[in-house]
Amino acid sequence: MAETTQAASQITKRDFRSAFWRSFTLMGSFNYERMQSLGFLYSIMKPLRRIYGDDEEGLRAALKRHIAAFNMTCAPSTFVMGISIAMEESFKRDKELDPSTVNSIKVSLMGPLSGIGDTFFWGIFRVLACSLGVAFAQQGNPIAPFILLLVFNIPNVLVRWFGLKLGYTQGSAFLEKLEKNGQMKLVTYCAGIIGAVSIGTMIAMWVSISCPLTFTIGEMTITIQEYLDQIIPKFLPLVCTLAVYGCLKKGMKTTAIIAGICVIGFVLGVTGLVAM
Amino acid sequence: MITLWQAVLIALVAVLTELDGNIFGENKMREPIVTGFLVGLILGDVTKGLVLGAQMQLMWMGATAIGPTAGLDIGTGGTVGAAVAIATGTGLESAIMFGVPVSVIMQFVNTLLMAAYSGVMLEADKAIEQLKIAKLTALHWMCVLLSAIKTFVLIFMLMYLGGDLIDAIVGGLPDWVSAGLNGIAALLPCLGFALLMSIIMDGSMWPYFILGFVPAAFVGFDLNMVGMAAVAVAIALIIWQIRSEQQVVAAQTVAVADDDEWED
Repeated sequence: MAETTQAASQITKRDFRSAFWRSFTLMGSFNYERMQSLGFLYSIMKPLRRIYGDDEEGLRAALKRHIAAFNMTCAPSTFVMGISIAMEESFKRDKELDPSTVNSIKVSLMGPLSGIGDTFFWGIFRVLACSLGVAFAQQGNPIAPFILLLVFNIPNVLVRWFGLKLGYTQGSAFLEKLEKNGQMKLVTYCAGIIGAVSIGTMIAMWVSISCPLTFTIGEMTITIQEYLDQIIPKFLPLVCTLAVYGCLKKGMKTTAIIAGICVIGFVLGVTGLVAM
Repeated sequence: MITLWQAVLIALVAVLTELDGNIFGENKMREPIVTGFLVGLILGDVTKGLVLGAQMQLMWMGATAIGPTAGLDIGTGGTVGAAVAIATGTGLESAIMFGVPVSVIMQFVNTLLMAAYSGVMLEADKAIEQLKIAKLTALHWMCVLLSAIKTFVLIFMLMYLGGDLIDAIVGGLPDWVSAGLNGIAALLPCLGFALLMSIIMDGSMWPYFILGFVPAAFVGFDLNMVGMAAVAVAIALIIWQIRSEQQVVAAQTVAVADDDEWED
């Protein structure tokens, strides 16, 4: 990083590129004890070795610091990597500093950054990518998977690259600034708005539950679905989704809900009450 | 129906969905549209693969792994579902009948492995003590490799050795079972969208939810997702402008209040 303000930085561009590429393997050794810790350590390994050089004691202590439990949304994790690299550099320079602060910084960043990351990557980018993909795939257009991958991965790669850079050069000061004037909250909130509108749209467009039941009274044939459509189109998809959402809110496990849907859906299907 | 090489290739697609999260930075190759496309290429019916992929995609729209409590292995589930439906010449019902159980069972197997990898951390601690950097790297990649082998072996066995069984099950489906599976297929997408809602929704989001639902429900497919996404962005920008102005005003008010204090 030529533009870095840290005069004593010996970290090369190659070290940064290594951290960037290795960050893609963050989940590779995910485990329930320390989650992404080994992946995190592996990602920042080259910069760490550059910083500590032949200072074996220093390197060992640094490795121990970064094998501690770590878990967050993958894409913005490079921001934390950048901060960690910058902090390790200052520990090496200034023996007075307390190295354990890097772990408290990491822990304090995991929650908020994951909150933002989940909203953007799972709530918006994935939904947008998949829904564009669905639109093409339904027509059998082979461009569908490529659109999906492109729409999701442009932000995925950009956030990784610039997150690493920003974390290293600006450090936690950047986040503090955003937190202080409330901008981060507002960004997340507005992202949530896009997500909420999209979900509403998708339920109406893509959940197809109808009631094929018909009654014949005298000469008149009554189709239940026609009546439902007159109240509000897509009434059943809305009600069913809200019902499942209610179950989730009550803390029901996903697997239990799947089992429930399979039983109820099967029975309703066999009895002819529900069809696609 | 499925030849040896097709089974190998399908198992490799399943491995790709595993590597998606493990070494490719969650690039979403696991999504059913992608696996449906690839399985379609392998079995010689891309269009059907894509259509099945789209249907399963909707079903699993909300199936995202958040935090350590992963939900469903939609990568292998989608792969197997599409493969079974195309190979047996059937439709979404058989994709669901095989895809959903596979996604649940494979997730269970993954959970066991992720628990087992905790033991690897002890080895990592030792490697750090002895400053064996190469060993740390090896441990990391060993986990990647083991996960990939697990997926390959299980999916290959299912697709190749299970072929006759799959044919028998799918071929012997009576109409009422098809109707039942159709009912499940109708209801399952609700879970996906409900899961998405639980990430995003809180009390203040309901008006926006209604704004999204109503136009799409009444207008239907004349309105497309891109159009609605643009409207959503516009609404978000309006709220952004209003709120940031309020923040500026609030900040000024605080500043003025501070001044008053000094005067008192």
